[in-house]
Amino acid sequence: MKKRFLALGLAVLSAAALSLAQGGRTTVTFWYALGGSIGEQIELLVKNYNSSQDKVTIKAEFSGNYDDTLNKMRAALQAGKGYPNVVQVYDIGTRFMVDSGAVVALEDMAKKENFDISKLVSQPRNYYTVDGKMYSLPFNSSNPLLYFNANALNSSKVEQRPFYNLAQLEDTIKRLTVKDASGKTTRYGITFHADSWFIEQFGYNSGQAYCNNENGRKARATETTFNNPASVAFLEMMARLTAGGFAAPVGRDGTASLNTFVNGQAAIYVSSTANLFGATRAVGGKFPIRTSFYPFLKERNGVAIGGASLWMLKGFTETEQDGAFSFIKWMLDPATQGRWHLNTGYFPVIQGVTKTPLVQSGHSKNQNFITAIRQLETSKVNTVSAGCLMGQFTEIRTYVVSAWEEVLKGKPAKQALDEAKVKSDAALQRYNATVAR
Amino acid sequence: MNKILARVLFYIGISLYAALLVLPLLTMLSVSFRSDGDVYNPSFFPPNPTLEPYQIALEKFPVLRFLGNSFLVSSLVTLGVMLISSCTGYALARINSPVSNFIFALVIGLLLVPGEVTFLPLYIMINRLGWIDSYLALTLPFIASPIGIFLMRQFFKSLPQELFDAARMDGAGHLRMLWHIAMPLATPALGALAALTFLGTWNMYLYPLVVTNSEELRTAQIALRFISSDEAVRYNIVAAAAVIILLPTLVAFLFAQRAFVRGIAMGSLKG
Amino acid sequence: MERVLPSSAKQKRILWKPRPDWLEMLILLVPAVLLLSAFVILPTIEAFIMSFQREGLLGRNRVFAGLENFIEVFSRPENLQSAWQSIYFALIVAPLEIILAFAAALLISRPFVGVAIYRTLFFLTTAVPTGVAAIAWSWFLNPQTGWANWILASLGLEPKQWLLDTSTALPTLAVITAWAGVGFAAILLTAGLQQIPEDLYEASRIDGANGIQQFWSITIPLISPTLFLVTLLVFLRSLTAFGQIHLLTQGGPADSSMVWIYRIYQEAFFNFRQTYAAAQSVILFLVLLILALLQFRFIGRKVHYE
Repeated sequence: MKKRFLALGLAVLSAAALSLAQGGRTTVTFWYALGGSIGEQIELLVKNYNSSQDKVTIKAEFSGNYDDTLNKMRAALQAGKGYPNVVQVYDIGTRFMVDSGAVVALEDMAKKENFDISKLVSQPRNYYTVDGKMYSLPFNSSNPLLYFNANALNSSKVEQRPFYNLAQLEDTIKRLTVKDASGKTTRYGITFHADSWFIEQFGYNSGQAYCNNENGRKARATETTFNNPASVAFLEMMARLTAGGFAAPVGRDGTASLNTFVNGQAAIYVSSTANLFGATRAVGGKFPIRTSFYPFLKERNGVAIGGASLWMLKGFTETEQDGAFSFIKWMLDPATQGRWHLNTGYFPVIQGVTKTPLVQSGHSKNQNFITAIRQLETSKVNTVSAGCLMGQFTEIRTYVVSAWEEVLKGKPAKQALDEAKVKSDAALQRYNATVAR
Repeated sequence: MNKILARVLFYIGISLYAALLVLPLLTMLSVSFRSDGDVYNPSFFPPNPTLEPYQIALEKFPVLRFLGNSFLVSSLVTLGVMLISSCTGYALARINSPVSNFIFALVIGLLLVPGEVTFLPLYIMINRLGWIDSYLALTLPFIASPIGIFLMRQFFKSLPQELFDAARMDGAGHLRMLWHIAMPLATPALGALAALTFLGTWNMYLYPLVVTNSEELRTAQIALRFISSDEAVRYNIVAAAAVIILLPTLVAFLFAQRAFVRGIAMGSLKG
Repeated sequence: MERVLPSSAKQKRILWKPRPDWLEMLILLVPAVLLLSAFVILPTIEAFIMSFQREGLLGRNRVFAGLENFIEVFSRPENLQSAWQSIYFALIVAPLEIILAFAAALLISRPFVGVAIYRTLFFLTTAVPTGVAAIAWSWFLNPQTGWANWILASLGLEPKQWLLDTSTALPTLAVITAWAGVGFAAILLTAGLQQIPEDLYEASRIDGANGIQQFWSITIPLISPTLFLVTLLVFLRSLTAFGQIHLLTQGGPADSSMVWIYRIYQEAFFNFRQTYAAAQSVILFLVLLILALLQFRFIGRKVHYE
């Protein structure tokens, strides 16, 4: 008799415990790849989400920069354990993520949860749509801008244009450069650090794809096409400007570039709109910042979005996946998008957010936040501005940046790009062979 | 008169040389005491010395945690190495058998395998075992150290046979002899080995880099990389962090210079 | 040195049967053997196996691929570049480090007032971890504000971009590496110098030899084995120098400091090509093995020398 009661008691207790556990919060692991001030904003978002409801706890972890995060995730996937539920992967990692077979397509989750993804702005949505299906959530989408030191514009009596073709940009840079009596540059016209992304965007904006098969969107990319006239003209200009003391010698260093701008040593700074908030803060009251669209060769096509997106990985329980998706849904909430936009510079990916009062008042305080949005709105929507989708993108970028540096050292631009193309194509072929295996 | 001149010149020369060698460290020290505004001020001494960078470094980054991790890992490995090296070295030195000869030859062979070659497959193995981000991964692979085993074996071999014969007659087994006779005599060798191992583990970079992900387990060396990329332009903070990370080994070195020197000499010249 | 066993052992002699030798040997040897097999031998074998394989995405589906990886390694020109960069790097580090260390060791080889202070200063870099050395030098070499350029300017020379310029990045890294190792090499050379018997110098002084003659006829010949050994050691170590490159240049600018070991890291962790990187590791291993055998041969000869 006693034994039976004991057993019953235990059963009741364990059932109660079980239901308590299920009634408790689901933990969802989230790896993000942005440090510094943007990282702080992400942590803030997570904190707000966690306190806004009692079903899901997002456990956020800064897993290093984009490359490091991708590496760690890859290693964890290879080991079969230790990978997060939600992970932030940069734009160029898209092909790899889809090929890995380790992700849950967002569109599938959206269908299941009756979430209407047509609310998303088309360009970011298109970027992350592969073979007709949207795979990840465009979380922090950006595009490149020209940042101007307004005081420099005034002192050099240069008018700021809303957008520039390459010839106009070169002319403006030269006019903004200040040299002393001995010919030494005291203020550079521009600080433009070497980053493949800038070449990609310049190509897209000039109507040139970066890889074949229509930027890898109509079929898998098998060849790179960055050795096009736009890239050549661009690099030739950079070589001229750097040799002539018009462009600051910052190499690949984005932080040095920002610093040069903040210290007033360069009149124009080129960067993602994501740095708008941080740059404005760093500049403080030194000078007003103005922004323009990213340049193009002759005729403006439109830029692709940059930044990163959030992916959901397979291998978690349904509760966890639902929890992860509810976090993503919350991120897409207009209020959240508005705050995120104003606190970083990334533009909202949900339609209509720009019309909300919060965002409107933010824009009236700092017009620069509108520039990226306007640039996106006025970009043509085609496979070129959809951005290149290809594997081994990280490695290929290193070849392109090396080419940039070689051109600065004197190598002819076409030659450098052609050589980089050979290496890149080999890498791409190797990747495609690996996927087939 | 000549002698005094020679002396003076000698002192000037050697002081200059020593100063030159230490110069980079001095500049790091100098910038670590500057406020954000003074960082780019071209002067030897910080114009307005402040502890602000140190404060910020300690507040923003868990530097003490990083140091703690390095210390924990280095200590664990050092203890492990001393233990395993003594046991194995003793067995190889004093127990004659074809097995021990084979193993000793193996150990000598393994001396030739540098860590950097095995880091990739070792990392893959650690990954598969699920030990990524664990103290286990940072310590266990290094406890059996070929150099440690070699050194202790050489040392124990050099001990007079009579010592052990006497103990044998008293009925002592090898474990007894190791613990009561060999080890107490090995203190200087063990001390040197400890210093060598501690320093070597403290300085490890590549392997801990690939085997740890989370900030909690980060060791001091890798932490510097993260701090310097996070605070790229605020050199004063990065320098402050670097100075803090330098202090333990510096202090340890100053106090135990003897042991370090002996350890390094023994470890590298193998005798 | 005699040591008396505690009397309890004497009493116990009759009471317990001593463990057989082989059991004790087992207890003493098994841990090391297991650990070495698992963490040194196995990975080395695995590296070799992997080098003959090709992998699928995410490292899955490894298949035997014969010499494909090695063919790729030797057919891609950048690997040749990396090999050359590693050798070039080591060829700067080794002589520089030895010269600096030898000078230091000589300076403190004779006792004088304050020698202990200078000895500590010269040995100091052993206490400076790679990361800290890198940070210190990156500031020292800052093109705008570092003291290096300030010194150059005061000598009337052009400032250099040091780590930011493709032509100076690798040599600069080499100088930093040499600097960081001076303490280490100085310790070894001091030990070597100490082993030269004092009477030789005494005898030669009686014979009327001055300092310089003593240096060339006694010091140099007797320190040469140690010098050679240490140089080889430093050369070997510099072929696997990683930390400072990772912290300061990440193989750049424009791959000008992409030494072999860094390329392995890059291929494995950024290009996701583990089997290919394994092949590169194997090649590195063979090179280091040959050099280490050389070193070993030399120690053997040196020992017999004495």
